Amino acid sequence: MTGVAGILDGVRFERARSLDEAVSRVGALVSSGEPFHVLAGGTDLVVESHLAPPSPVARPGRTILDISSVPELSKIEDRGDRIRFGGGVTYLTLRREPWASRIPLLARMARDVGAIQIQARGTLAGNIATASPAADGVCGLFPLDTLVGLRSASGERAVPLTEYFTGYKKTQRRPDELIAWVDVRVPARDAKWAWRKVGTRLAQAISKVALAAVIEIDKGIIQYARFGMASVAPVTVSLPSVRALLEGRGVDVDLAALDAAVDRDVAPIDDVRSTGDYRRHVARAVVRELTRSLTT
Amino acid sequence: MIGQNVPRTDGVPKVIGTARYIDDVPPLPGELWGVTVRSPVARGVLQRIELDPSFDWTDVTVVTADDMDDEHNVVALIEYDQPVLAKKQLRHMYEPIALIACADRDKAERARAAVKLHIDKQEPVLSIEDSLAAKHVVWGEDNVLKKYEIKQGDAEAAFQSCELVLTGTYRVHHQEQLYIEPQGVIARWFAGQDGQENLKILGSLQCPYYVHKALKKTFDLPDDRAHVEQTVTGGGFGGKEEYPSVVALHAALLAKKSGKPVRMIYGRKEDIEATTKRHPAICTVTIGCKNDGTFVAVKVDCLMDGGAYVTLTPVVLSRGALHACGAYRFQHHHVLAKALATSTPPNGAFRGFGAPQTIWAIERHVDAVARALGRDPHDLRDQNLFNEGDTTCTGQVLSVSVGGRACLDAATKAVDWKARRANIDRFNEKLARDGKRVRRGIGISTFMHGAGFTGSGERRLKGKVAVDLTPGGRLNIRSASTDIGQGTETVFRQIAASVSGVPFEHIDLEVPNTTKVPDSGPTVASRTVMVVGSIVGKAALEVAERVRAEMKDSGGTFAEAGDRLLKRVGGTVSSLQQYEPPVTRQFDEATYTGDAYPCFSWACDVAEVEVDLDTYETRVLKLWSASDVGRVINPILCAGQVEGGTLQAIGWALYEDVVWRPDGSIANARMTNYIVPTAVDAPPFETILVEIPFPAGPGGAKGVGELPMDGGAPAIASAVEHALSHELKWQGSLLPDLPLLPEKIFNRVRQLES
Amino acid sequence: MLELDINGKKQQVDASPLARLLDVLRGPCGLTGTKEGCGEGECGSCTVLLDGEPVNACLVLAGQVEGRAVLTIEGVGSPEHLTPLQRCFIDDGGAQCGICTPGMIVSAEALLRSHRAPTDEQIRDAIAGNICRCTGYQRIVDAIRHAAELRK
Ligand SMILES: Cc1cc2nc3c(=O)[nH]c(=O)nc-3n(C[C@H](O)[C@H](O)[C@H](O)COP(=O)(O)OP(=O)(O)OC[C@H]3O[C@@H](n4cnc5c(N)ncnc54)[C@H](O)[C@@H]3O)c2cc1C
Ligand code: FES
Ligand code: FES
Repeated sequence: MTGVAGILDGVRFERARSLDEAVSRVGALVSSGEPFHVLAGGTDLVVESHLAPPSPVARPGRTILDISSVPELSKIEDRGDRIRFGGGVTYLTLRREPWASRIPLLARMARDVGAIQIQARGTLAGNIATASPAADGVCGLFPLDTLVGLRSASGERAVPLTEYFTGYKKTQRRPDELIAWVDVRVPARDAKWAWRKVGTRLAQAISKVALAAVIEIDKGIIQYARFGMASVAPVTVSLPSVRALLEGRGVDVDLAALDAAVDRDVAPIDDVRSTGDYRRHVARAVVRELTRSLTT
Repeated sequence: MIGQNVPRTDGVPKVIGTARYIDDVPPLPGELWGVTVRSPVARGVLQRIELDPSFDWTDVTVVTADDMDDEHNVVALIEYDQPVLAKKQLRHMYEPIALIACADRDKAERARAAVKLHIDKQEPVLSIEDSLAAKHVVWGEDNVLKKYEIKQGDAEAAFQSCELVLTGTYRVHHQEQLYIEPQGVIARWFAGQDGQENLKILGSLQCPYYVHKALKKTFDLPDDRAHVEQTVTGGGFGGKEEYPSVVALHAALLAKKSGKPVRMIYGRKEDIEATTKRHPAICTVTIGCKNDGTFVAVKVDCLMDGGAYVTLTPVVLSRGALHACGAYRFQHHHVLAKALATSTPPNGAFRGFGAPQTIWAIERHVDAVARALGRDPHDLRDQNLFNEGDTTCTGQVLSVSVGGRACLDAATKAVDWKARRANIDRFNEKLARDGKRVRRGIGISTFMHGAGFTGSGERRLKGKVAVDLTPGGRLNIRSASTDIGQGTETVFRQIAASVSGVPFEHIDLEVPNTTKVPDSGPTVASRTVMVVGSIVGKAALEVAERVRAEMKDSGGTFAEAGDRLLKRVGGTVSSLQQYEPPVTRQFDEATYTGDAYPCFSWACDVAEVEVDLDTYETRVLKLWSASDVGRVINPILCAGQVEGGTLQAIGWALYEDVVWRPDGSIANARMTNYIVPTAVDAPPFETILVEIPFPAGPGGAKGVGELPMDGGAPAIASAVEHALSHELKWQGSLLPDLPLLPEKIFNRVRQLES
Repeated sequence: MLELDINGKKQQVDASPLARLLDVLRGPCGLTGTKEGCGEGECGSCTVLLDGEPVNACLVLAGQVEGRAVLTIEGVGSPEHLTPLQRCFIDDGGAQCGICTPGMIVSAEALLRSHRAPTDEQIRDAIAGNICRCTGYQRIVDAIRHAAELRK
């Protein structure tokens, strides 16, 4: 820990040098009841809280714990059929080799996040922790049988990403836990994958709807179909009805049944970026388009 | 020199990061940070301003309307209706009510929150329709800020004998200038040598003399005690035409009361919320024509939303009205234009200045007529486009530099219109066969833009420029025309060099500062090169001639002769020139007849797009623009104006939308949700500069600044309609309203299908 | 006191680690070439390189960059020695009002360090986080492409 270097109206800045140090500090802060923020790339936190001066909101008494230099958090372990990405892995890393070839879906998703400057700083753990239903990273990880590694001073546990979110901006993470890693399944070599982001523009855009999919087909039968869809419900959705409809079937899908399945899985709303009606329409359309691409 | 790609003279400091914008100016000793307390309601009556007694106000300066008498509490522009600070009646959300300055920025922010406003809320008027219906009277007797009528012939009677008469209504929305450098000034009072108080404003601004005028009025200052200087300005596009007067007045009030220099720089959110935007408009257009497509008569009914105060609305409305009949030949014209007041922040200058609004309507309507006649939109334009000798809606005979047809022909050739459109149709059929969910389309617009001030504006304005001889045979241009990125600095030097024969490197340019430069008129209306540039040339020539006469008399080089001359006359060898507009038919402002502009710039835009049939996302694949801006002084700078302006038009068409809440506040006052195109959204541009010289312009130049804002949106809409025409059938216009957001196209298609 | 490495120079800077890197650069460091257009990561006019990668200095806290190398526009070329990128931005019309230009050049610099001959698509992707309201981008893309050719 590099000491309490800065005090700004009583706000403290601390920098963790290792994961152990980070979790023990978080544990201590939680038990002392002191308000604190964990800071990684800052692309959500700094924007949201305007915690930096000259902002009025640098509230006294809190601690900012910077974990952007914790080496364990940017580690990547390739174990063949699964890869474990440290929570601090950035989008830019995912876009680059060797990871781009290993999981092209994530590379493609990463290319659509913000723009280079955001990709260079923004992290997977930050995206998951923010828990926005529009999160592209979460959406891209959804079809990959992803486990979220939660680490606290008292130990580590793994939670499936699809069960991690419990409501709008609510998650299973306890305040004393950090997201240490995400562990993803590497799709089969010949697996079909799709990433389709419909945003407000082609870069620096928040998703109006995004779809991530991994589909594995054997002898004309869909064996494995997993999805993530962003911005169509209070949390990222895995399109369970669509999955149920497709798995174990051939690639010729009844479109009316498909639309109905999508309708069951989404509950979009109007906001400043788009409308619920449009989102529902687009959700159906991108799923249709995906199934069409399976037959070609 | 003229016609050469001279690298821009302010290029080096801009690329190495030393160019000094307002917020780069180092803090002055004792400087305070100024912030504004704004109205939280769109309409209401301010009862009381209360300063939270638990807050420590000792080092905070607070200014309210009570610090001025009513006569001085005005932002001097056209009408004196806008107060510097609201006193009682609140007329729009974000209206300035109080000002705060403090050395500590954080504390200034906290102080802002510690000002409690006691307001009786009133119901606001937020739309053109509600204002027209006088739901509440928020301005004058009937909410009408200004109206004009233009009439040539008898359109209504002529419609009776037309084979086709088609009417359509078209709407456009607000647009935020979104210059990347927000508004900002530094104000400082100081004692002159005579002990009298002087006020200095340093700021990011387009029109130093507008600010000068406003300061003189509010502070009762004589000409020579208000000093306004432009810093390097990070974009304006009209947004820094009239608004900087407000920021300057605010900072100056705080500086006066505190006795310290005050810096006021808006944050992005405040800038989007509080400053001016493009006027929304609703235009109803009727065209009567023959079955062979010959246009006969046109009628346009145009309503604009001026916002809460008059500001520049009369001028914007006027330009909108004058461009409402488009670039086409009609025998009969009738334009009715009206600007209405609403409880929204005043709308103001934005590149195009009213013309993009009405050109959107007429261009969309020409497409609708083409559809009704079963004609190709290009051919119908070709048939009716103005030629030399034709007459406009004000009765102006187009006699010089009429480049519309040359632009249309150049664009048609570059695009290979017929073949490309046919190819696209075939390609779309293939896409449909292959089950692909995208379609392509190509669209066109032809348009013109009056160069310079309308009517007798220039004659009234008497724009001036001075050129001085300086040691070493150099010339120094003194003009109030600002470079806000367009390249004025460079182009003025090119003009001066080419007219005077003095080498380009020997020509300097004074920083625009009202104490040092004469009033050249504002940097607006595409007038800088054509109008101010022409007198820059004259003044430079006159000075150079005097030096040459000296050379002839007593020999030596130009520099030696110049120095000798300077010494002999005791310091100043200078030429002050005033603009003399070319003699044209007088414009009658009462009847709106006569020559509205000395000449027009012309253009033809063609857009090729790809539209997703599921998501209705539109990608612009390529944009061709052929523009006649007269003789081009610097092709790279000129093409940069065309492309940048066209991308703003594309943004307005496809992405940009100011989202208003029912209470009159803005829901998307951030760059994350006020969406402008990025480099991956922008199309490749092919820019063709067609040069039909205008004899009275410097070297034959006309104006380029605003023209490119006019035609991009309708060309894109036309292309999107073409793309969708393979799937849908409709009558009139499929896309009559901006913006062409996917959600809106989706709704329109659904409405059509049901 | 922060220990920062800016444009190859290690220096002690009197600033809070909670200050935005942008404010530290523009304030105590006197490096005003890095601009602020939005303060929320959208416009890119505050782009600097952090260990060679482009980042928005408005979203990075000063305390986060201790031990890392920061490169600002002031560390790219000088009036006497413009880099090919800077030369091309001037000659090709890549700068108009210039407020986006420092950030744009820094982003382009990062691209050219890793791509000898970038395609137009790669160029546009590399500057997608830098909003320019003036140029329409075409001339910026041209300038970067030409600079890549000159660097070869
Ligand atoms: C201009 C811009 C564009 C953007 N575009 C996109 C986009 O296209 N798609 C998209 O999905 N997002 C986008 N974002 C949002 C953001 O970049 C991402 O969500 C990013 O992944 C956040 O990561 P970070 O490291 O920057 O998080 P930070 O801001 O550092 O932190 C975010 C939250 O996560 C917590 N946190 C961080 N790391 C951990 C950890 N290891 N354990 C527990 N909690 C942690 C923090 O305490 C904080 O609450 C954009 C943001 C900006 C500013
Ligand atoms: S100021 Fe940092 S991205 Fe706009
Ligand atoms: S040159 Fe003005 S914003 Fe890019």
